[in-house]
Amino acid sequence: MVSFLRVFKFAFQDIARNLGLFSMTIFILVLMLLSVNTLWSMDVVTKEAVQVVKQQVNISFYLVADASDQAIKDLTSYIQSFPQVVSVKVVSRNDVLASFETRHQFNTDVLQALSELGSNPFGPTIVVNTKEPSDYKTIMDAVNVPQYQSLVEDENFQGHEDALDRIQSITNRVNQIGLGLSILFAVIAFLIIFNAVRVAINSQRIEISIKRLVGASNWFIRAPYLVESLIYSVLSLAITMLIMYFAVHWLDQYLTIIFPTGFSLTNYYRSHMLYVFGIQGVVVLVLTVFSSTLAMRRQLKV
Amino acid sequence: MISLHGVSKFYTPEAVVLKDINLTINAGEFVSVVGQSGAGKTTLVKLLIAEEKPTRGKIKLGDWDITNIRSSVVPFLRRQIGVIFQDFKLLPKKTVFENVSFALEVAGVSALRIRQVVPPVLNIVGLSDKAGRYPTELSGGEQQRVVIARSLVHRPKVIIADEPTGNLDSINTTDVIQILKKINEFGTTILLVTHNREVVNHLRRRVITLADGQIVSDEEAGKYVI
Repeated sequence: MVSFLRVFKFAFQDIARNLGLFSMTIFILVLMLLSVNTLWSMDVVTKEAVQVVKQQVNISFYLVADASDQAIKDLTSYIQSFPQVVSVKVVSRNDVLASFETRHQFNTDVLQALSELGSNPFGPTIVVNTKEPSDYKTIMDAVNVPQYQSLVEDENFQGHEDALDRIQSITNRVNQIGLGLSILFAVIAFLIIFNAVRVAINSQRIEISIKRLVGASNWFIRAPYLVESLIYSVLSLAITMLIMYFAVHWLDQYLTIIFPTGFSLTNYYRSHMLYVFGIQGVVVLVLTVFSSTLAMRRQLKV
Repeated sequence: MISLHGVSKFYTPEAVVLKDINLTINAGEFVSVVGQSGAGKTTLVKLLIAEEKPTRGKIKLGDWDITNIRSSVVPFLRRQIGVIFQDFKLLPKKTVFENVSFALEVAGVSALRIRQVVPPVLNIVGLSDKAGRYPTELSGGEQQRVVIARSLVHRPKVIIADEPTGNLDSINTTDVIQILKKINEFGTTILLVTHNREVVNHLRRRVITLADGQIVSDEEAGKYVI
């Protein structure tokens, strides 16, 4: 126990003697962790965005104006029988007309043309939502059969496929850049920690030789450097968590505007804190311990 | 206490440093090892503190067979041996008290025990009143006395002193040798490696002379003959 406490004492002494190098190492580790967290947050936000867009995707089947209630009911039941379908909604002729009028309320030419017709030119519409955007093709193909050709006048797939593709493409690009940055910072952090320990050992050559001379065990000589690695990891993670706390709070005011679902990054980090920072903590610890051990193997021939 | 049987050390087949050394030093002896530079004195010290391993032969120190001692066991051996070097090897940022207690700290001795052990040892070497000073505030002789104190805190059965007076003037040399004699009187075996003719001749104890890696003389109450 006494030796254990002294290992910590020697580790803190070493940090105090090389404060500049210690700060630089922490700074680089924090940069690395921040880039990882940016990547992580982007992934969470884009997943949420894709989910929101997917919910807005639907296919509309515009039926002929004189479609009978029975025919509409048959078609609705037929569409509902597909397992990919989440919901089917029938919009009546009047509702379609009302919706059209609302949409074009400031366009007098359109409203004038509509009134000149003298009657409601719209047929009912069946709006279908599926589990995945890719399922719409199946439904469209299923409806495009001779049995329903006389009933369905037109169809419109508001697929937002372009939007989904664009989101996916941006996500992939951001992920690639983020991954590249994370690897770059990890390499820099490795080199800095490696050199920090090497410099520390070099500056303590006399002390280390005296420790050996008076009977310090190999463990006792090496352990302070491993404790330093632990301190690097804990401190850099704590600083990153603090920065992330304020960053996601600031971001949330914009995200709540973008996402009607009430999505919040703060809530995400709160509920996944152990997982997100646990993984990062383990990675940083492995990185720091590995670089310290490598530096010790090269510098300490105990 | 210390025995070497057929010990040889060479770094390459041509670079032979010690050749077939056979030597026994009994507990409580005060033995001087003399010889010119390159005779193998320092290598002998390195073998005894397990800093290097012999190429051939067998070395025993007390109950320890250190011929092929494992590196994990070396620290425990070194706590049984007090080692004094010419260049002091003191930590400049630690006081006299801290330098001496450092040997106990690395061995995991409690702070309470350190406070009990260090003051009497400083008293033996006459530095009780300078416990709070830093090495740079001490004379060469005083610094060497700190090193002796540090080597004593583990209550070693053997003290190996490699040129302990090499950097000292005659007055400080006398002081250091007197302290070593005093420690020897308490029963501690002393192995003194030195160049100092006056010290060896004045001691009139056992003298082992090395030349070209071999023992050329081993005399009780001997003199510096080279």
